[in-house]
Parts: sequence; C-alpha cells; structure tokens
Amino acid sequence: MKKSTVIVIALLFSIGLFLYPASAQEAIKVGVILPVTGEKAKFGEIEKKSFEMALEEINAAGGINGKKLEFIFEDDTGRPDVARSAAEKLITKDQVVMLGGGYGSSETFAIANVAQESGMPFLVSTGSDNKITEQKWEYIFRINPPVSDYPRGLESFLTEVVKPQTAAILYENTNFGSSGQKEFQQTCERLGIKVVMAEGYQSGGVDFKPLLVNVKKANPDLIYMISYVMDASLLMKQSMELRLTPKVFVGGGAGYTLPEFQKNAGKASDAVFSATLWYQTLPYPGAKEYYDKFLKKFGMDTEYHGAEGYASAYVIADALKRAKSLKPEDVRGALAATDMMTVFGPVKFIAYDKMTNQNKLPTYVVQWLNDKLELVWPKEVASKPYVYPIDWEKVWK
Amino acid sequence: MDVFIQTMVSGILIGGIYALVGLGMTLIMGVMRIINLAHGQLMMVAMYITFVLYEYFNIDPYFSLLVSMPALFLLGVLIQKYLLNPLLRIESIIPQNQILMTVGVAMVLTEVMRFIFQSDYKSVKTPYSSAVLYISSIAFNFPMLIAFGIAMLLTAGLFFFLLKTDTGKSVRATAQNKDAALLLGVNAEWITQLTYGLGAALAAAAGTLLLPIYYLYPDVGGPFTLKAFIITVLGGLGSTVGAIMGGLVLGVAESLGATYISMALKDAVGMVIFVLVLVFMPGGLKTLTKV
Repeated sequence: MKKSTVIVIALLFSIGLFLYPASAQEAIKVGVILPVTGEKAKFGEIEKKSFEMALEEINAAGGINGKKLEFIFEDDTGRPDVARSAAEKLITKDQVVMLGGGYGSSETFAIANVAQESGMPFLVSTGSDNKITEQKWEYIFRINPPVSDYPRGLESFLTEVVKPQTAAILYENTNFGSSGQKEFQQTCERLGIKVVMAEGYQSGGVDFKPLLVNVKKANPDLIYMISYVMDASLLMKQSMELRLTPKVFVGGGAGYTLPEFQKNAGKASDAVFSATLWYQTLPYPGAKEYYDKFLKKFGMDTEYHGAEGYASAYVIADALKRAKSLKPEDVRGALAATDMMTVFGPVKFIAYDKMTNQNKLPTYVVQWLNDKLELVWPKEVASKPYVYPIDWEKVWK
Repeated sequence: MDVFIQTMVSGILIGGIYALVGLGMTLIMGVMRIINLAHGQLMMVAMYITFVLYEYFNIDPYFSLLVSMPALFLLGVLIQKYLLNPLLRIESIIPQNQILMTVGVAMVLTEVMRFIFQSDYKSVKTPYSSAVLYISSIAFNFPMLIAFGIAMLLTAGLFFFLLKTDTGKSVRATAQNKDAALLLGVNAEWITQLTYGLGAALAAAAGTLLLPIYYLYPDVGGPFTLKAFIITVLGGLGSTVGAIMGGLVLGVAESLGATYISMALKDAVGMVIFVLVLVFMPGGLKTLTKV
C-alpha cells in the first residue's frame, strides 16, 4: 500500500471518529469519581447509590433532551494518585462531557487539578477543603459548602445555648482535618472561646487514650472533633472509658452523622452533637422523599453525603439540558448559570470569601438522642428539642 | 503523674497485642527466611471469622479463639504447602519470590473478604467492650487487659513448645541450619508448613483479641503488616524474645509519643525508634538478651 493511501485511510478513520459522538441516540457520558473501596468506601457507597438512584429517575423522565444520561463510575480508592489517573482516564479514554463526584479532599484536589488543566467541567459533590475552590479555577464547581462553613450553624448554638469558655480541638491530620481545625480555631477566637489545645492525630489508630488524657487534663468546656467514622466511634468510646466530661462533645460533620458511628460507638454516641449540612426533615422539596426512597430501595439510612450525590446528579442533568452544546466551554457556562432547588437545598454558584464557583448553604446542628440522629438547631426547623446540659454519668450508665 | 501512668498503661497493654502480631511474623522469618507480607491480612481473616461467629452464632469473641486459631493454622499450612513451598523448587531470578507470593496472598485475601462482606466497617459490641477497671484514677480497659493476659499466655505456650517439645526443637533446628536439620532427619517441609501455620494462628489470636476494642474492614490488615514488620526488625530478625520486647517497646513509644509529642506523629515516633535501634543496635533488641 502506498504511503498516501495509508494517510487517506487514516484521515477517513479520524473523520469517522470525529463524527461518531455526534450521531444520535448516543448516551451522554459523565464521569463520576468516588471511593468505593478502601477506607472511605462507606461514604462513597452512599453517594454512588444516590447518584444511581437519581440517574434512573432522570432517564425515566426523558433523560437529557431526549438523549440518555450515563454515569461512568471510577473508584479513587481514597488515594490522590489513583484519583488523578481515574480523572485522566475518564477525560481521554471515555471522552466524558464533564466530571462529578469527588469525596476525600485530597483526591478531589487531584481530580480538580486534572480537570482544570484539560478544561473539563467538574462538579465537586463532597471534597470540602477550602482550597479546592480558592484557586480561581473556572472549570471547578462545588455544591458542598467548604469545610470552613461547617460550624456556621454551630456558632449560634454555642453563643446562645452552651456559652463555653474553653475548647479543645481534635482533628485528623489530613487536608480535611487541618483545614477544619484552622477555621474552627478562628471561629473560637471570634466568639471569645479560649482554645486550650488543638491536636492532630493519625487516622486508623487503635488507642486514642494518650491523646484523651491530655484533653482531660486541660478540662475544656467544649471538645470539637473532626474525624471519619471509625476514629469518631473510638474517640467517643475511649472518652467514655476515661470519663472525659466536657459540657459538650461536638463532631465537625463527616463521621459523626453516619449511622455507623452510632452502631459502633453504642451508648458512647449518645448526646453527642454534630455540625451537619443536611437533614431529611429540612423543608427542601423532595428531601424527605429522597430519604424514604433510599431507605426503601437499599434498606439502609442515608445522610448528607447521599443527598449531595443525589443533588449533584440533578445539577449535572440540569446543566447539560441547558448547555448550548456538549463542548466543555458550553457545559461550563451552563453550570455557572445554575440556579435551581434540589433536595440538598438551593444551588447557585457564587464567589465569596476567597472562593469562586461555590454553592453557599446554611448548616445545622444535630444530636444523637436515643440512638437516633435528630435535628436540634436552629430551633425553627428542629425535629426534637436539644438535650443540654448533659449529665454524662446518666448517659453513659 | 496520672497522665504518665495512664500513658504507660495504654502503651504496655497495646504493646502486648503488638508483640503477638510480631511473634508470628518473626517465627516465619526465622524458619523460612522470608518476610510474610500477608501477616496483617491473615489477622484480618481471623477477625472476620470472629465477627461472623459473634454476629450469627452469638459466640463470645474470646471463645472464638478456639475456632479462629485452628482455622488460620489450617489456612497457613495450606498456603505454605500449595503456594510457598512449590516456589522453592523453581529456579528464579529473584530468590525471594516467596515474599512476592505473600504479597499476592495478601491482596487475594483482602479482595475475597471485600467481595463477601463489602467494605463496610464492622465491629462486635460485647457487654464488656467498654468495661473499665479503675485503680485510683487510672483506667484499665477490661478487654485490653484480657487481651494482654491471653497474649502473655500464648507467648508462654509458644516458648514451652519451642523449648521443651521435640517438634519445637525441630522448628528451632530448622531455623538455625536447615541443611543440618535435614541431614539429621527433620522433615523440613512439614516444619515450614507447621511454622507458617503457627505464625498464622498467632496472628489470628491477635486479630480476635483486638476485635472487641477495634473495628474491622477488609483493608485493616495493611497497617498491621507494617507494624509486625517494624517489630520483627526491632527485635532482631527471627528472634522470638526480641519480638516480644519489640512489641512492648513500640507500644510504649507510640503512647509516650502521642502524649508528650503529638498524636499526629505517633507513627513517626515508632519509626524513629526503629531507625535508632538499627543504627546503634544493628542486631536488634535481642542483643540485650542471651536467648
């Protein structure tokens, strides 16, 4: 075969490839990166199920302007390097029109980096480290409030109800943990609470007592903890063993709102407060329905991570419907113009503080009461009145 | 002072369990001259056995030692017989291809467990899981005390076996000089299987004892493989007494580090001790003893 013939054939093929995605009835592919194995798999699983549930509903309702929507899930295994290659694979091999998901902050940051470099819109559903939306990256959007906003709802609860003088902050030494710790420290300074101790710890430890004896010695009014679920259960169990009795234990979201926290910590979970981003009884349209449907379908509880996933899927669908074409630039434009109501609350991407393309939402306070998570603050939306002051000896009996 | 005592108590108690994890690996290293990189994963399998027995048959975790240890012994023997020993007969460019095999075994075990139990976190909640003994203001976690006690008993049992029984002596002989042992009629192949089985059973004991105070998911093994490796090296490769000391030293160092330096640097403290011992005492802690 002559060289020129080869070139002509190759050209024909490449034109064919070019035309291929444009042909009708081809599903619109969106890549979703979540940890479904590894330590963070629990959260990833709840989100993945919520994404899938939303996808079924979206496609049943006609998909994206007549075309089917398809989510291609990739597992980041909770490691930034894996997340990075997953993002690269989705962009180059699967040729997705945009990316979604992103659970752990470090992984999300890695994905966001790739997405921005390749000009691929990425809607972050969970990764909450502030710096993810502080880079002026125009292709990165985040539905989840940044970690610094997590204790906003808590602030009013502290100033109006608990009025603590001193606080200790325990956090896992990751992006997520230290970013949350810095922010809470500033919050404390603003509220005139003295931070007597701020200690990081390594996730996955067996014995937290050395850390907790120091806390006990410092005897703070408030203990604020930023942890994933199993560290959270161990921290509370061992606090109970050491009879560590501050006025309140407050979890900074993540582990402290999961059903697994209660299941593993048992009675040590009782009366623990946590900041949270969402609760099923909130007056958002569809919130309760989503919760019930999830419970019925999978026989397990869902919580704010699930709601984030579910809402993300709808935001993605909405943006793709409005986009002039499926070119990244147009999808990006459509995402930026998002203004809709979801089960997770209103979604609109704005710039505030140092962040851009960031959704701003109020946050809430929940408390574990009789093995159940109840929304206790703000009072107007509470599902149960809060229990305070707490008699730990009675709770832990 | 209370803080210091509480820290030491925590460190020693956790050190007892570490020692048990390290012992198994050290035994295998002594006889087979390989690092068993599936050690933590074997522990994980035993934890799942304990979990299933507790969840579905309501068997107390401490009684399930009687099931998990023999089960893991058998698993260990099978792994040695059908996966590790055949590799000895093959000429390969890497003489340590048995170690690579243990890495493979570790991965397979993890993924099989994930397939069966998903990635969910599991834990057993016994009535005594959070029971605490208070001596003045020092808290002794009850399950940890029991775990420490059983760990010491098992260690004593192992020493009795190694020092006083014929089979135990054959194990030591094989560890000292395999060829000579062969010449004197020791069935070395069976001894390797026995040793791997014993090592696995010790890992199983550590896993089962740890479960009431810790939790379980398929990837729980990795960090413990690493801990076992540190302890083994700390103790002086292949020395059982060294492994016990190594375990205790690591436990106490981690606790002290967590209390007085920072919990975030807990693992770093362990590593610093590890490096110091290697630099100033290349033979490991066993050089401090005569055994």
